[in-house]
Amino acid sequence: MRTYLANGAGVAAGDLDDDGRIDLVFASVDNDSEILWNATVSPGAPDFTDMRLSVPNTRAAAIIDVDADGRLDVVLTRRNAAPMLLRNLGDRRFVRDLLLPNHLIAYTIAFADLNGDGALDIVAASYQAELEREAYSSQEQDARGGAFYYQRTATGYLVQRLADSASTQALAIALIDLDADGRRDIWIGNDFDQHDQIWLRTNEGWQPRGDFFAVTSHSTMSIDWADLGAAGGAALFTTDMNPYDTSPQNLARWVPMMSVTAQKLTAGDVQLPANVMQLRDDDGVWHNEAARRGVDATGWSWSGRFGDFDNDGLQDLYVVNGMVALDLFGHLPDGALIEENRALRGDADGRFTLAPKWGLNSTASGRGMLPVDIDGDGDLDIVINNLRGSARLFENRLCGGNGLLVDLRWRSAQNTRAVGAQLELRTSRGVLRRDVRVMSGYLSGDAPQVHFGIARGVTIEGLDVIWPDGARSQVHDVQVGEFVHVVREDR
Amino acid sequence: MTAMKIERRRSRNAWRFDLSGWRALLTVLDPREYRRHVLGALIASFIAAAICVRLGRFPLWVGVLLVLVGLLPVGIAKWRADAYRFGAVAMLLGALLTVQGFHTIEHIAQWVQYHMLFWTVRQSVGLLSPANAEIVHFVWNWSVLIVVALLVRGGARNPLMLVLLAVAAVHAVEHSYTFARQLLVLSELRALGVTNVTAQGLPGIFGRDGWLARSAWTQGTFLCSLPGLTTATRLDLHFYWNLLEMLLLLPAAALHLRER
Repeated sequence: MRTYLANGAGVAAGDLDDDGRIDLVFASVDNDSEILWNATVSPGAPDFTDMRLSVPNTRAAAIIDVDADGRLDVVLTRRNAAPMLLRNLGDRRFVRDLLLPNHLIAYTIAFADLNGDGALDIVAASYQAELEREAYSSQEQDARGGAFYYQRTATGYLVQRLADSASTQALAIALIDLDADGRRDIWIGNDFDQHDQIWLRTNEGWQPRGDFFAVTSHSTMSIDWADLGAAGGAALFTTDMNPYDTSPQNLARWVPMMSVTAQKLTAGDVQLPANVMQLRDDDGVWHNEAARRGVDATGWSWSGRFGDFDNDGLQDLYVVNGMVALDLFGHLPDGALIEENRALRGDADGRFTLAPKWGLNSTASGRGMLPVDIDGDGDLDIVINNLRGSARLFENRLCGGNGLLVDLRWRSAQNTRAVGAQLELRTSRGVLRRDVRVMSGYLSGDAPQVHFGIARGVTIEGLDVIWPDGARSQVHDVQVGEFVHVVREDR
Repeated sequence: MTAMKIERRRSRNAWRFDLSGWRALLTVLDPREYRRHVLGALIASFIAAAICVRLGRFPLWVGVLLVLVGLLPVGIAKWRADAYRFGAVAMLLGALLTVQGFHTIEHIAQWVQYHMLFWTVRQSVGLLSPANAEIVHFVWNWSVLIVVALLVRGGARNPLMLVLLAVAAVHAVEHSYTFARQLLVLSELRALGVTNVTAQGLPGIFGRDGWLARSAWTQGTFLCSLPGLTTATRLDLHFYWNLLEMLLLLPAAALHLRER
C-alpha cells in the first residue's frame, strides 16, 4: 500500500434519520463510503444495516446540518476532488452537491461559527504531499491546494485564502479559542517539517501567529481538546509518531524508517517528534505537559481522543495506532508496523496510565476514530475506521459510574445543532465542562450529542448551557442516566 | 582579638582570585619547543586530509582522523617531555585537556550543525562521529574516566576533580548503555534482514525518550520531565555534558597546579 493511501480515512456519527439512534458514516480511501444505519434496540447488541453512498476515495467524514433545514447532512472530503455534500432529504435519501464554492482538494475540514453571526463557517485545508503524489501540476496544486476560510453569508460563502498549497500539509484542524479572548481561532496541524499554523481572530481579521505555541508535535496527526477540570483545566492534545515501546526489539522495527525520514530543524523550531499535551498556566500561556502526564509516546498514532470511558468524571484518552507502507516498513511483513491502540485512564491529578484491562488494545491499524454512545446506554462506545480491515465498534461494558447525554437544538438559528455551545454540568464534585463540536481528532466527525461521565455517589446540581451567541440557559432537575434534549426557542 | 583579625585576612586571601594556577596550566599546555613541530604536523596533516577528502572523495571523518593521527607523534613527544619536566600528573592533565578540547570541538560541531545550520539530527554528527558515534564516544568516555581516576590516584584530589570523576563515571555508564543498546538493536535488525542501518544516536539513560524518561516507574512523575535531564535531545544533552566536564576540568587542573 502506498504511503498516503495508508493515511486512511475518518468516520462520523450522528442521527441521520432522526430515529433517536446514532448512525455512522465511514469514509474510505479506495472504496465506496458507507452509512451504517443504527437499528440497535437498547439494551440489546448493536445492530446496523449498511448503505453504500457511491462516493469513493474519501478522507474526512462529518455529519452536520449544513443547510439549516433541521436534518443532518453528510460531508466527505475526497482524495481527488472537492468536498462533497450529501444533502439529507429525509427517509434515508440524499442529494449530492459540492460543499465549497471553489475546487479545493481538501484533506480535512472543520466547521464552527467563527465570526459570531450565527451561521456555521468552514475551514478546509489540503495535504500537499498527496497532491504531489497524485501528480497534479504545480499550477493545479496552487489552484486546488492550500488552507481556506469560508465565511457563510446569506447567499453562499466568502472565500479567504489563509495559506498557499506549498505550506499546507494539513492532517487536522481545530477551531477553538486559543488566546482566551472569547473568539474562536484557527489551528491547522501539519504533517512533516511544516509547522502547525495558527490564525487568531482579531478586530482586523485573521492574524497568523506562527510562534503561538512554545512546542508542537512535529507531525501533528490529530488534534483534540477537553476540560480536565481540577486536574489542569483546558487541555489540547496532539498525536505524533513516537514508539511507546523502546525495547531493542521494537526500536529495530522503527529505526530503518527513522534513518530515511529526515526531521529538519528551522530557525526557532518548536516541533517535537512526540505527542503534545498543552495546558494553560496562570498567565494564559500554553505549555507542554505530555511527558509528565504520561501521554507523550503512544506509537505511530493517528486519532487521539479524550473521553470519560469509565464514567468516573475524569477524562481518559484513547489513541489508535499503526502504519502500513512498503516504502517505510519494507523490512516488516506486508510493510506493516503493527502496534496496539493505547487506552489511558485519567486520574484526579491529570495523569494518564495505561488501562490494558479495558480490552481496547486492538492491532488493526486504526485511523479515524470517535467515542460516541452507540447503544444509548449512557457510556461512550468507540468506533474505529481501520485501514485494510473491517471497522470496529468497541461496546463499552466497563463497570463504573453512570452517564448523562445532552443534545441541543436551536431551531431558529442557522446553526441548528448549536455547534460551539459550551455545557457546564454542576455536580457535587465540581463542574464538568464539554462543548458541542463537529470535527476533532483525525478526519472524524463527532455526534452533536455531548456525554458526561458521573462517578458513583456524585449528584447533579444543574446544567448550564452557554449557547454559541453567548446566551445562557439553566436546566434544573437533571438526573444521572438521562438523555437530556434541550431545545432553544427564541421568541 | 588581633589573632582573629589575622585569621580573617588569611581566609580572604585564600579565596582571592589567584592566577598562578592558570599560569601554570598555560605553561603545561604550551607546546614550547614543539611549536614548530605542532605547526608543521598540523599543516602537513591538513594538506593530506584535504587531498583525501577533496580528491580522494573520502568522507570528512577520514580527513579529521588524518589530522589527529598526524598530530599524535608530536603530541606524544611533547607529553613525554612534560612528564619529565612537570611530573606524570601534570602531563596527564595537559594531555586530557588537549584531547578533551578536541572532543568538545566535536560536540560544538554537532551543535552548530543542528541548531545553526538546521541539519537533521542524523546529519548532525560532528566531524569524527560519522565513523561510528557509539564506538567513538564509548571508547572516549571510558578513556576520560580512566585518566581522571589516575589523576585522582596521583594526588589531584581537589573537590572539583572529584566532582569531575563522578560526572565522567556517569557519562561512561551512559555511553556503555547506548553502545550496548546499539548492539542489541543491530542484532534485531539483522534478524529482520536489515544490514544497511547503523542505529546510531538512539536515546540513552538520560535525555528525551531515554530510559529515565520512559521507565515505567517514572511515568507520570516529575522525573520524566526534568528540564534537560529527561527532556533534552541526545545531541544537546551530550553537548552540555561535555561542556560541564570542560568547565570542571579547567579549574580543577588550575587548582591542582596552584596547590603544587
